[in-house]
Amino acid sequence: MLTISEEVLLLFLDDEKGTFIRGPDIHVELAMSGAVLMDLALANRIDTDPERLFVVDQSSMGDEVLDRLLARIAASEQERSTEYWLNWIREDVPEIMGHFIDRLVDRGILRRMEEKILWVFETRRYPVIDDREEREVKRRITSVLFSDEIPDPRDIVIIGIVNACDLLEVILHHREVEKVRERAEQIARMDFIGQAVNSTISDVRASILSMISTM
Amino acid sequence: MELSGERAGDILVLTPEGRIDGSNSADFQSAVMERIDEGSESILLDFAGISYISSAGLRAVLILAKKLNQVNGRFALCSMQQSVQSVFEVSGFVKIIDVHPDRDEALAAMQ
Repeated sequence: MLTISEEVLLLFLDDEKGTFIRGPDIHVELAMSGAVLMDLALANRIDTDPERLFVVDQSSMGDEVLDRLLARIAASEQERSTEYWLNWIREDVPEIMGHFIDRLVDRGILRRMEEKILWVFETRRYPVIDDREEREVKRRITSVLFSDEIPDPRDIVIIGIVNACDLLEVILHHREVEKVRERAEQIARMDFIGQAVNSTISDVRASILSMISTM
Repeated sequence: MELSGERAGDILVLTPEGRIDGSNSADFQSAVMERIDEGSESILLDFAGISYISSAGLRAVLILAKKLNQVNGRFALCSMQQSVQSVFEVSGFVKIIDVHPDRDEALAAMQ
């Protein structure tokens, strides 16, 4: 089974081009920050409530990036909110993405392609070789959204990120999105990390709008 | 966390006491799941003695509700303290899981 971070990464990839879907950087940064926190939460290393995020178990998860993040959270002198840690992890997102891309390449899900644009600028693409895992994530999300079944905790956290980062439009047809919008928002509320991703994106959007309106 | 149980007709009423968080949510989930595996298909969790619930606790409740839903069983919660009730409201769990103000009302609704 893939980690939440790996599943979220696959959702951000344009399968044909092998590049990341164009959109606000804040979406990718907070989606990946939220995903690593969710991996720690589902492994019962951290826990959350509406006010704070706290460490439950400091034992290794066998993943160097997740273990390092867990150690940093555990070393904090005071308990902080989930929003605080999301913003704190954002700076490490390029490294986190590189780590999980490597894992997906190692598992034969992605391929790494180095190219040069105009014979000068180096660029990397990650075409999907084996799309079974990604299709399975999309099938799970669609199944939950179009039914009234009680969602699984994994599906709740993925839908929380998908909803916050406007990825529903990538997974579903525009007409389908409108049909499931309310259900997606209801499910997204069910996880406090997903809620924090959503509220942080809203805060960033509000501050950008505020800056633009004062220019 | 303590977990006691009693029967009210064919409904098993379980009464956990204390906090449900990442330190004990797996134990709580296993203890209730054991009752489901033994054949209890109607379970009411009386939360009067629960003073705190975290995300891990909510996930445990969700998994139990999903399990009973899959076997066409009945599942509800009742008698929550205000702080716990507000966590269920903020997270929208009250729209997915039946929550009743007290045990009598819950039992009547589950009959």
